[in-house]
Amino acid sequence: MATNAQPRILVFSTEKISDPAIDLAGLLKKHYPFTVYTISVPCSSCIKPRWIMRAYEKGFDGVFIAADGTDCSYGESCGEKTSHIVTSTHQLMRDKGLKPSQLKMAALCSVCAEPFVKHITSFMKELEKLKYEALSTK
Amino acid sequence: MNTQYDVLVVGAGIAGEESALKLADMGFRVLLIEKEPSIGGKMILLSKVFPTLDCAACITTPKVSETARHPNITLLTLTEADSIIKENNGSFSVTLKKHPRYVIEKDCTGCQECETVCPSIVDDQFQFNLVARKAVYIPFNIANPRVALIDIENCMLCGSCEQKCPSNAIDFSQKEEIIQVKVNAVIVATGFNLFDPTLIPRYGFGKYKNVITSMQMERELAPTRPFNNILRPSDGKTPDKIAYIFCTGSRDQTCGNAICSQVCCMYSTKQAQLLMGALPMADITMYYINIRAFGKGFNEFYMQAKDMGAKYVKGKVASVSEKENGNLILRYEDIATGKVTESEHDLVVLSVGLLANPAITSVFKDETLEIDASKYIKQPELLQSPALTSIKGVFVAGTATAPMDIPDTIMSAGAAAAETSGYLKQLS
Amino acid sequence: MKKKIGVYVCHCGGNISDYVDIEKVKDAVKDEANVYLLKNTLFACSDSSQKGMVDDIKTSELDAIVVASCSPKLHVPTFRGVAARAGLNPYNYVQVNIREQSSWAHSDQPTGATEKAILLVKAGIARAAESQALTPIKIPTTNATAVIGAGIGGMRSAIALADMGTEVYLIEKEMSVGGHVANWGNLFTANINGNELAASLHNEIKKRPNIKLFTNAELTEKKGSIGNFDIKVKSGNETLPLHIGAFVVNTGFAPYEPVSGEYHFGEYDNVITLPEFKKLIDTPASELVYKGKTIKKIAYIYCVGSRQDEEGDNKYCSRYCCTAAIHSSIQVKSKFKNITNLHFNRGIRTYGKQELHYEESSKNGDIYLQFSLDSIPQIEKKGNKTIVKVKDILTAGKELETEADLIVLVTGMVPRKNENLTNQLKIPVGRDNFFNEIHMKLRPVETVIDGVFIAGTCQSPKNILETLNSSMAAAAKANSILTKGEMSLEPTLAMVNPAACNLCDNCFEACQFDAIVQTEYEGRKVAKINVSNCKGCGMCTPVCPTDAIDLADFTNAQIESMIDALTE
Repeated sequence: MATNAQPRILVFSTEKISDPAIDLAGLLKKHYPFTVYTISVPCSSCIKPRWIMRAYEKGFDGVFIAADGTDCSYGESCGEKTSHIVTSTHQLMRDKGLKPSQLKMAALCSVCAEPFVKHITSFMKELEKLKYEALSTK
Repeated sequence: MNTQYDVLVVGAGIAGEESALKLADMGFRVLLIEKEPSIGGKMILLSKVFPTLDCAACITTPKVSETARHPNITLLTLTEADSIIKENNGSFSVTLKKHPRYVIEKDCTGCQECETVCPSIVDDQFQFNLVARKAVYIPFNIANPRVALIDIENCMLCGSCEQKCPSNAIDFSQKEEIIQVKVNAVIVATGFNLFDPTLIPRYGFGKYKNVITSMQMERELAPTRPFNNILRPSDGKTPDKIAYIFCTGSRDQTCGNAICSQVCCMYSTKQAQLLMGALPMADITMYYINIRAFGKGFNEFYMQAKDMGAKYVKGKVASVSEKENGNLILRYEDIATGKVTESEHDLVVLSVGLLANPAITSVFKDETLEIDASKYIKQPELLQSPALTSIKGVFVAGTATAPMDIPDTIMSAGAAAAETSGYLKQLS
Repeated sequence: MKKKIGVYVCHCGGNISDYVDIEKVKDAVKDEANVYLLKNTLFACSDSSQKGMVDDIKTSELDAIVVASCSPKLHVPTFRGVAARAGLNPYNYVQVNIREQSSWAHSDQPTGATEKAILLVKAGIARAAESQALTPIKIPTTNATAVIGAGIGGMRSAIALADMGTEVYLIEKEMSVGGHVANWGNLFTANINGNELAASLHNEIKKRPNIKLFTNAELTEKKGSIGNFDIKVKSGNETLPLHIGAFVVNTGFAPYEPVSGEYHFGEYDNVITLPEFKKLIDTPASELVYKGKTIKKIAYIYCVGSRQDEEGDNKYCSRYCCTAAIHSSIQVKSKFKNITNLHFNRGIRTYGKQELHYEESSKNGDIYLQFSLDSIPQIEKKGNKTIVKVKDILTAGKELETEADLIVLVTGMVPRKNENLTNQLKIPVGRDNFFNEIHMKLRPVETVIDGVFIAGTCQSPKNILETLNSSMAAAAKANSILTKGEMSLEPTLAMVNPAACNLCDNCFEACQFDAIVQTEYEGRKVAKINVSNCKGCGMCTPVCPTDAIDLADFTNAQIESMIDALTE
């Protein structure tokens, strides 16, 4: 497998909810592409747009925010706040010529191993397509 | 080892752990003993828990390690209370028996190299006999302490493990230890026994390979499961027509247990949901008498299982018989039609009940630890101080008092800690 | 500045090393900046390995350690302990998850798993290099609680707390204590009357000088946070300021009131609720008479107000009512002659030992008929007779019809409406509108509001035994926190860089915990974090227009250095 060709995804997970789901995927040996790297934070609403932008700048093809949804122990507004972060980052991305579809967000519960794998695999496919299109237009 | 403690907690399942942790957090010195080689009781062996579908291991292990690590808790595994005698000053003299592990606990790294060379193969009781283990073994993956022990009855004394062990942790010279301690209070958290379904021969457990217990199904569904898939024992085939027989050994005077076990309806419903996730094509039929979906979120969880496609059939199963291909024929009275009906399934799960475990009562030598009509530890002040027992200074927590689910167990253990703390404060 | 970092790569038996090439990982990271010491270990968590790390930290005077092994959920406290024992600040340790998120997740591609592990370890090293020593914040706490509600549960919480040495303010909004139970007669599973139980607990309260009972009282103000709340309690015409460390909320339930016309409630005079029926049978009399009419045949209709299926309805089971109704039916039969009990139910839920009541009532000759929600019993009047019609599941769906003198609606529990308190304490409610715990099994009496504990039927329907257990468990939890006189808070909190702060409203609005306050900095007004309220969620950090807020242990420097390392 040509590992370099595979898009790279940075996942922001949350320590108490979505990161355990990603762990569970591993525990159950539910495989997903290995070019998916996770940085875990307390709550998805603390992710700064500049971190996401840094990731693209340094060579990540996609960023996936594994948000808490209504399970968040810091309160229910976290989903709304995280969507707001996504919206403002989308603006920054447009300015840099990035596609909004390179940033995804989904709420994962602490046992959502299967949904995580599904989200990440389909995101990977989308990014592959984007990468291919970009290559063929060059 | 210290010989003086504020409290002895007997049993390091989730009730014992919770009581011990609460008291230790309050600053009391706790001696926690467990007869098995690992703590965490039965919960640590479960798959997921209702109605939230959290992974049981994932929510047990943090408490287990907190217990093992707490500076105010001294933990002894493979240890049983042999006698507890009340002294004139109200304290208790306790004689403990610590069984030899034949492995030096502090030296074992849990590498499992010993298991690779051991020639003796026996049924694995922690996998409820679904698979085998060696005579030298680590109880299960997430055991705490995660160190090996030798089951000396099945050991051939060949010494292979001793040679193989990279940290020289095997020690055949270990003997049973007698430990004397003094405590001011005792918490009985000895849990329950599972009903043995061979006592209902008409269900064929032990005779028909594809009749298993719900605890075996728990293991098949657990993240640390023995197989990587759900399969039936006779031929390893993936089952696609699974039956649950509710109230096996509960609400049944003929097998000596008139009461309801309080958890089987819900754990069966949970297993059905997990099975529908793992085997989307499988038919799952639940043969029940009444569904006891009473706790927070339980009724909603039961409705969800129905919506997902589990079929609930009201009717008591009279008997199970086996076909040549290993499939099973259930004969039952279908309450909806009033007719005796037969149906074929390729796997039958018996939702076994909970039984009292009154063995601890014989340990109290001078005073009697009374039990109730269902053989659970008697709570003389049930509706005022539920953690009190018939002996002053002895308290009770969890399923030692009655069948109950995990949230209720945690509450009851908290209540026992509160009662014990209050008692110890009055003493001082 | 160059740091000395110790890196430990764990085999986890073979859990990691079977898929991840440990030697390759070591080789790839050995030249990373700041790596001073690099070791592999069979089990990083084993006692022997922990001891080795303590020695390394001490002898090599390490500034930080990185442990690449399993998920942080498992062993962060273990390795923070290692650091602490070696005299290293626990926050100068970084956990890297190369098991759940590498060896296991990618066991199908060992080369890929190794490649990923290398980058994850590099990111961990980068983060450790940027890590700061953090000190848990210690705050003094007050060993006093406010128990809200002096029903059976609240009184039991108060007694338990007092016995454990915690000062209690017991706040009851009614004039008398005991809640619903004080009005009840004989209780199930124990031979005691409700009024006796309430009186006995009240008596215990009076005996304890460290419980102060306020009746006709309510909470009017709450400030502060766990360990130190300043509250005001209005009792009668007096308002008292109190200083407490925690709340135990034990406000109980409200009985479900049938809507007018539900089973002809309010229309037929012989349709009553279970609480009304209990009161009726407790009245001393030789004959059971209701509204002048002798009662012989009683029909109980179960699940009224519970197990409904429409959106917005009560979908939950009220838990206590099956046993309560059956127990009442046994009482009525033992007290009065020639009573016939007919139980129209939806599946009897006498769980556990309560089964024995069901068995007893069946032996008494009570008749059980079962209906489903789509064909509920119909009640109608024929002349002066009341007829109940049902399609009985237990007799293969046969249509049955019977006469009854009295219809008892077995009503369940609903959450009490208590807006004042909910507004003061901001306790979240669940789908069923009862107060919600953080985690049913791990933290069943705690709410997301630190220092506010819940117990009894305000959390979910319960019987008396379950109410007592949860009330005492809440007392144990509150006491275990307050008894030490101080508590330490996680230091991973938000930090404002005052020089960069232009004081706008954004962070104040984002924070849900009132953790942001104003302060002066070089003659300007700026934002500041109130550390005892901050939960460390970081919600305030991305909203700052000048990027003046960082979250400790998740600083820009740390996160960005990790991103950089992952893309090397």
